[in-house]
Amino acid sequence: MRAYFSDIPRTLLAMGYWAFMLYLLVPLTLMMAMSFKDANFIAFPIGDLTLRWYSQVLHDKQFLEACLYTIAIAVATTFAATVIGVWIAMLIAQSGSRWSGILFALACLPAVVPGMISAISLRVFISTIDMPTGTGAIVLGHTVHAVPFVVVMALTRLRSMPPNLVDAARDLGADSIVAFFRVTLPYLGPAIAGGMIFCVLLSVDDFVRTFFLGGYRPTLPMLIFAKVQGGMSPEINAMATLVLIVTAAVGLYAEYMTRRSRSR
Amino acid sequence: MQPVVQFENVTKTYGQAIAVDDLNLAIEPGKFVTLLGPSGCGKSTTLRMLGGFETPSSGRILLAGRDVTHLPPNKRNVNIVFQDYALFPHMNVARNIAFGLELQGKSADAIHRRVMELLRLVRLEAFAERLPSELSGGQRQRVALMRALAPDPQVLLLDEPLSALDAKLRQQMQIELKAIQETTGKTFLFVTHDQEEALTMSDVIVVMNNGRIEQMGDPHTLYSHPNSVFVANFIGEANLLKATVVARDGDRTALRWNGLEVQASATGHPAKAGDAACIVVRPEAIRFSGSPADGVNAMPGKIRQRVFKGNHTSMLVEVSDGTHLTALVHLGDTESIAGEDVWISWKPENATVIRDEAVPA
Amino acid sequence: MASIEAAQAELENGGPMPRYSTNISRIVNSRLYQLTLGAAVASRAGRLALLAAVPLLWLAFLHIGPIYQMAKISFLTSYPLQHGRPASYTLANYAIFFSESIYFMPLIRSFVFSLASTAITLIVVFPVAYYVAKIVRPDWRSKALLLLLVPFWAGELIRTFSVIMLLANRGALNFLLRDIGLIDRPIPMLYTSFSLGFGLIYLICLYMLLPLYSAIDKIPKHLLDAAADLGAGPFTRFRRIVLPLSRDGIVSGCSLVFLTCIGVFATPMLLGGPTNVMFPETISGFFHGASDKWPVGAAFALIMLVSALTTAGIFMRLVGGKATKLM
Repeated sequence: MRAYFSDIPRTLLAMGYWAFMLYLLVPLTLMMAMSFKDANFIAFPIGDLTLRWYSQVLHDKQFLEACLYTIAIAVATTFAATVIGVWIAMLIAQSGSRWSGILFALACLPAVVPGMISAISLRVFISTIDMPTGTGAIVLGHTVHAVPFVVVMALTRLRSMPPNLVDAARDLGADSIVAFFRVTLPYLGPAIAGGMIFCVLLSVDDFVRTFFLGGYRPTLPMLIFAKVQGGMSPEINAMATLVLIVTAAVGLYAEYMTRRSRSR
Repeated sequence: MQPVVQFENVTKTYGQAIAVDDLNLAIEPGKFVTLLGPSGCGKSTTLRMLGGFETPSSGRILLAGRDVTHLPPNKRNVNIVFQDYALFPHMNVARNIAFGLELQGKSADAIHRRVMELLRLVRLEAFAERLPSELSGGQRQRVALMRALAPDPQVLLLDEPLSALDAKLRQQMQIELKAIQETTGKTFLFVTHDQEEALTMSDVIVVMNNGRIEQMGDPHTLYSHPNSVFVANFIGEANLLKATVVARDGDRTALRWNGLEVQASATGHPAKAGDAACIVVRPEAIRFSGSPADGVNAMPGKIRQRVFKGNHTSMLVEVSDGTHLTALVHLGDTESIAGEDVWISWKPENATVIRDEAVPA
Repeated sequence: MASIEAAQAELENGGPMPRYSTNISRIVNSRLYQLTLGAAVASRAGRLALLAAVPLLWLAFLHIGPIYQMAKISFLTSYPLQHGRPASYTLANYAIFFSESIYFMPLIRSFVFSLASTAITLIVVFPVAYYVAKIVRPDWRSKALLLLLVPFWAGELIRTFSVIMLLANRGALNFLLRDIGLIDRPIPMLYTSFSLGFGLIYLICLYMLLPLYSAIDKIPKHLLDAAADLGAGPFTRFRRIVLPLSRDGIVSGCSLVFLTCIGVFATPMLLGGPTNVMFPETISGFFHGASDKWPVGAAFALIMLVSALTTAGIFMRLVGGKATKLM
């Protein structure tokens, strides 16, 4: 940070950073603060504080069921997307340059298709294969959405892998399968862990696919959506705050893990 | 004795490019054999074909008499020490070494005994629990070597394993590698482009160029009696003199060079009187004196340059036709300085006649 | 004594015995494995099949399949198909789009909002990304970035909901303005174009941050030093070095933000109000209830997909970077 940079208006940029930070955090902070309001409606100023919304939420059967349902979907999605994503990444890594470009573009397709279109096309698709809407369809939709991210993460890690590692395993008597499970997969470990957490968050956050593919059991985003549309009370804030804290903690942990593995 | 490795008319092509050209090579068991050559000479391809990572375009590869040409790497009883070691980063040293043993179906006890035995061989017992990332370059090198030795391969292949080490460590490892080879009695097939490594460790050196074997023999023979300009230049330094054969008499050849009659030892090169030939004179074979010496191969010259190289001094001597010869003198051999007139000579047995070729500049 | 001896022995053997996987050979040598997977990987064809079959099927059926099916039904005269009656194809579903302004206006609105949000996001986020990548001290850099990423994990709905807290009539902003006496009655901000734009930018700005950050981070500092050394002022350095070298990041960030923005479904419904219907809501109207309107909805979705991807493609072509890090 020598003189060259000091003549860029550093202070201005620093102020910009903190203003942006404020912009990002203020709405969420307000949202969390409102969850403590001791009144049946959402309005500023907050006034008296209470924890009753939290106790209400934690005793709300609908909320708890939605939590479990969301988690179940996320777990299934994560498992499926990780297996398929890593598999696709392995194929791309091992194909020639011409094929790998095409395959990579194909693998990334669901990530560039706007969410709404993705949801609609999946809705059409499951009806053409006579699959009912509901849990299976949601998991399928979430998995399609999550696979590209796993592919990119796994592929990045695979490309940094010394090519001789697999050769060494094969040389020492491992066939391709053993070499994959004993050398490649552990090497991918950090990328897979990061990818899995990303899958969980994508699935938990997803609204539009769930909306079009789901049945009558609401996931957390659907529950919150319904409540926001149906008139607001600080209960939603308590609910959203709980979800936010959990997902942010998971996200931060993932970030911390991937950073640590990268620095090693 | 049956050779442990045999290449029979092995050719490997990549599209138009020929990497290995009709290679025939037999390796005796228990020897330290080095494939030496510049990059792209086919030595690594040869090694990878033996390891099972490349399939020959034609020809056969036999391992202890068994045809392994089309077997995958995991079905061959040879192991490789890779250039970058390729240690598994997520396994500790013991688990790395145990990798091949685990796949052989040994019991945990047997595996552990073997692992510790190997670690003791390289004095790394205390490092069994370390990860590869916690080891120095030399230690990684040893672990890679032990991992490849652990499954008791018929041949150990080493693909330029010392190239990642610094000069000092490389010299240490050369000695250690040779010692390990002698202790274990294994056949080592070592690939390098470094002639010094090859000379230090090998029982047999196979010099390769353009996918073919140029010359094969023990280090001493290769050094003192190269049979081509390539080998003479690739191993050590050489003064190459274009001459005409005058006569051959037993182990001596008389040649005419630069208006002088010089003598050299007769090696495999079947030169007749009147043939053009090349004389190889190593710099250290050239001796200096202030006056005409004993008369054989003596000629006057002028010192053009004197370069101090630490343990020796390199002299550039210009002889009557303007040719520059490089000579190497050790401390106290001569005090002559640049510009001085001297007499130089060499013993006939220290010069070799090879076939005439274009001498690379 | 015995324990000392054991410890001694342990020391000599380099500590306790590591846990070796002896099971691996048992699995690999089992008949079951030998006859199935083991046999498969022994041949080149088997290895290829094992490696490629599942990924190729997945890509073909689930990455292309849905778009293909959607495209297919968008040309159908009637849906669902009835047994015995052959499918007949038409362009009428596409014609409907151009027939009425309640159909094509939302698409235009979606485009305007998405493009504007993308542009504003780029302008706002670029200095922030530059600040974090080049000015923050290296040991603080990842913390500064992490701090920005916290809201990223909150999810679409929660972030949208939190914008309501800020902008509602009885929200924080109106309260603040009234409290300091600037206004007497609340300014209606929610359910307007303003709240929608604000919410969209709030939702997507972090998708811009990461590509920009990683592009700017890659610019070698000595390039800036060299430019300064040659007499380039801050503005010239920015225009001649920083901007061209962060082009890939700009292209990926903008494409990602634009494509995300145009496909957002819930946020416009919650923040936009009745006069600001966006195209996803229009499309969704065809998918509520019975499926006989699906062909029209599919046609609309395809119109949006093609126009959005074309826009992103034209942008990439114009700016000329590579969107290699689209995610």
